[in-house]
Amino acid sequence: MTGTDFRKIPPQPLQPIEFTVPGVFETTLENGLRIVVLQDNRLPLVSYRLAFNWGDINDPTESIGVTSAMASMLNEGTANYSSRQLADEIERLGASISVHASDDFTVMSASTLSLYSTEIMRLVAEMTLRPSFPEDELDLYRRNTVEHLKFQRSQPGFLANEQAARLIFGSHPYSRVSPSAEDIEKLTREDLSIAHDLAFIPNNAVFIIVGDVDREEIVRQIDDLFGSWPKSQLTEMAFPEFAGRNRRSLTIVDRPGSAQSNIVLANSAIDRKSPDYFPMLVMNQILGAGASSRVFMNLREEKGYTYGAYTRLDAKRLGGDFEATAEVRTAVTGDSLKEFFYELDRIRTERVPDEEMSDAKNFLTGVFPLRAETQEGMTNLVVNRFLYDLPENYLQSYRANVEAVTADDVQRVAERYVRPQEMAMVIVGDAKEIIPQASSYADAVEIFDTEGNPINVSDQEAAAN
Amino acid sequence: MSEAFKLQPLDIEEYKLDNGLRVVLNKDNAVPVVSIAVYYNVGSRNERPGRTGFAHLFEHMMFQGSENVPKAGHFQFIMKAGGTMNGTTSSERTNYYETLPADQLPLALWLESDRMRSLAVTQENLDNQREAVKEEKRLRYDNQPYGQIFDLINEMIFKNFANSHSTIGSMEHLDDASVEDVQEFFRIYYAPNNAVLSISGSFQTEEAKKLVETYFGDISSQPLPPELDVNEPIEIANIYREWEDKLAPFPAFLIGWKIPKRRSPEFNALYLAGKMLYDGDSSRLYQKLVKGDESVIQLFGFTDERRGPSSIFIGAIPKPDKDLSKIRDVIMHEIRDIAANGPDPKEMQKVSNQLVNDAVRTRQSSMSRAQHIAEFALYDGDPNFFNTELDELLAITPDQIRSAVDKYLNTENRALLDVVPAAKG
Repeated sequence: MTGTDFRKIPPQPLQPIEFTVPGVFETTLENGLRIVVLQDNRLPLVSYRLAFNWGDINDPTESIGVTSAMASMLNEGTANYSSRQLADEIERLGASISVHASDDFTVMSASTLSLYSTEIMRLVAEMTLRPSFPEDELDLYRRNTVEHLKFQRSQPGFLANEQAARLIFGSHPYSRVSPSAEDIEKLTREDLSIAHDLAFIPNNAVFIIVGDVDREEIVRQIDDLFGSWPKSQLTEMAFPEFAGRNRRSLTIVDRPGSAQSNIVLANSAIDRKSPDYFPMLVMNQILGAGASSRVFMNLREEKGYTYGAYTRLDAKRLGGDFEATAEVRTAVTGDSLKEFFYELDRIRTERVPDEEMSDAKNFLTGVFPLRAETQEGMTNLVVNRFLYDLPENYLQSYRANVEAVTADDVQRVAERYVRPQEMAMVIVGDAKEIIPQASSYADAVEIFDTEGNPINVSDQEAAAN
Repeated sequence: MSEAFKLQPLDIEEYKLDNGLRVVLNKDNAVPVVSIAVYYNVGSRNERPGRTGFAHLFEHMMFQGSENVPKAGHFQFIMKAGGTMNGTTSSERTNYYETLPADQLPLALWLESDRMRSLAVTQENLDNQREAVKEEKRLRYDNQPYGQIFDLINEMIFKNFANSHSTIGSMEHLDDASVEDVQEFFRIYYAPNNAVLSISGSFQTEEAKKLVETYFGDISSQPLPPELDVNEPIEIANIYREWEDKLAPFPAFLIGWKIPKRRSPEFNALYLAGKMLYDGDSSRLYQKLVKGDESVIQLFGFTDERRGPSSIFIGAIPKPDKDLSKIRDVIMHEIRDIAANGPDPKEMQKVSNQLVNDAVRTRQSSMSRAQHIAEFALYDGDPNFFNTELDELLAITPDQIRSAVDKYLNTENRALLDVVPAAKG
């Protein structure tokens, strides 16, 4: 080719370079604590995750919010350190330790320069095994959390998620995206201690270390620090079924003067170990996971309704949901619903063309090594495999599992898990502007204020007319 | 900090094409991944009055197709190759970047070069992206509680239009932008001699150089853009403003100071002072306000680094019924304490450990490295500053911190923005 002709078609790739997923070393202490080590000596860093198979959904009904409170309070005082001393000591090393409870898990995450690994491990053990939950710190936690709960009600994304979770999960604790102020105000030290005893048992935990460490040395250290932690009986819990849904509903959270409508369309979908996980991953990629997916191309690139329109697959341990979301200017709320439902129907009824299939699969397999580039990224891959109890060769076979998905698989899972006729439609925005545009999409509409109190629909309809 | 601790310097090679494009290579074969970043020396500071928001709107247009790449083709080519990409605009520069499996280096170079030499601009695409940008503005600024306060305080700190106006711009100016504006901007600023191309990750050096020459070598250079004056008087523009925020659930305030340019010893000293004041649970203000007085819900602070006069902010969302002026007194008290006594040795040790930690983390991903070396090449003319940045920061003395805090923060020459929740209804 001459001149600029070579520019007319995209270039061929160079010689591919194989990416080998590194193997991990596993062992278990006598008390049942599983240890996973992945040595990575590229940089003088270490990442740690001490993860418990116990999360917010395990809150006892009389102390909702306690697992998250217990997790947050672990760095607010121990047998040997005050809150201030812990903060000073961790930050003096330039390191970090944080604890977070999600629906399914409670995870202590730490990271440090490798030269301070011993010090950080000691602090991780101190916070895990000897928290003191000081009364004054708990009091501050309660008051600050109550203010945060108020604050998050000013954020449209929170309000949308709160309603969507309620509508999808019903009386299952997955429906609770946040405790109430009353829940928080009644938490006591004793509640936190009980939650700590329930959650923090070695035989229900995995300790993952990734980075610049000596494997034998780190295992020895963990044994020294955690070996005498007594084994305990795991409390089994039973949970209610998710909400049964058989028709589409419209829920509006009225935020007068809102500059946009936050739209969430949701229905229940799969748990993380579902055999349909990989077909769903590919389906979601085609439909809405990224900037070249269908809903983004339609609502943003063609129509200009939004900065971003996406679909999302949230697969938790016991179940999950499928969502389509966008923040659109108020005047095109109805038009956006029309385009969303057009795309949600199309993925169910039309076989995905081969090229779109291979594009989506190429993306998912290609970005996999990108996620392993940083130590945090690698750590998260390993953590998920252990937390969700995925097959031992999960990371090694990930790309092959994506490759194996067919267009028929995609259509099958779309029909099964994308259910426009029974979706919960949640829209946060100016109700009087939204009702005339959206009410034809559902038989009934319910309206809440930003505090979660129901508002009389006919008043709003009158205002809209 | 252990003296024995030395960061391995990155392998950095810099050269220039005949058309003036500066190229920076950082080879690191640890993972078969490569990142490409193109930094154009144009940001919102280059906008003219009446066209605020234009540099960012233009960034969107760079994804709308070029001679050989169809509209939205950029997203699609990158994604189906298993890559990720984006672009961002700041006051200082506009950047575009991709991370891909290493064998896809030619694809990234093809895409970046095609839009550098032959951007396709149509009225339809402009109208469409104008709407997307307006939604971005609504999403990130107009529809968020406290979403507009940083743009507001910049107008209070800076007097020079180049510095004071926001990057997202105004709806009115976005409406006024024309296809001719886009073409003009492209001609002036999107020339190879006004850009840096960096490549970091897994590649063969000779092969990469050949590809860069093939794809970028024949793009014509342009006369350099007009010099930009970002100078500022020391005095800030406006010391007080009250702002009614109809989405804010609580009152809040933000204090902003005008400080010297990035990488100056004073800027670096104030960056470290900021860490001591507001970074982390052991910081002075966290311990005083969140813990001790228990008076604030949220405390935040950061430095905004620019090649010209820069800024530092401290803000708080106090608890209901707390006296805001008392909280500000606590902030000023700590500032005066550092101005008088300097940081204590423990704080110095903490900050130096944090700096080392930050420096190591910044080196982890090829994208982070590509961005940093491109930025140093563009701003400072030398990508190797990436290797010496940590030493520069670690060399800052307690007395430099003391005197910079005294001179630039311990002053009435500061902007105070009071955020008042508007009555509902």
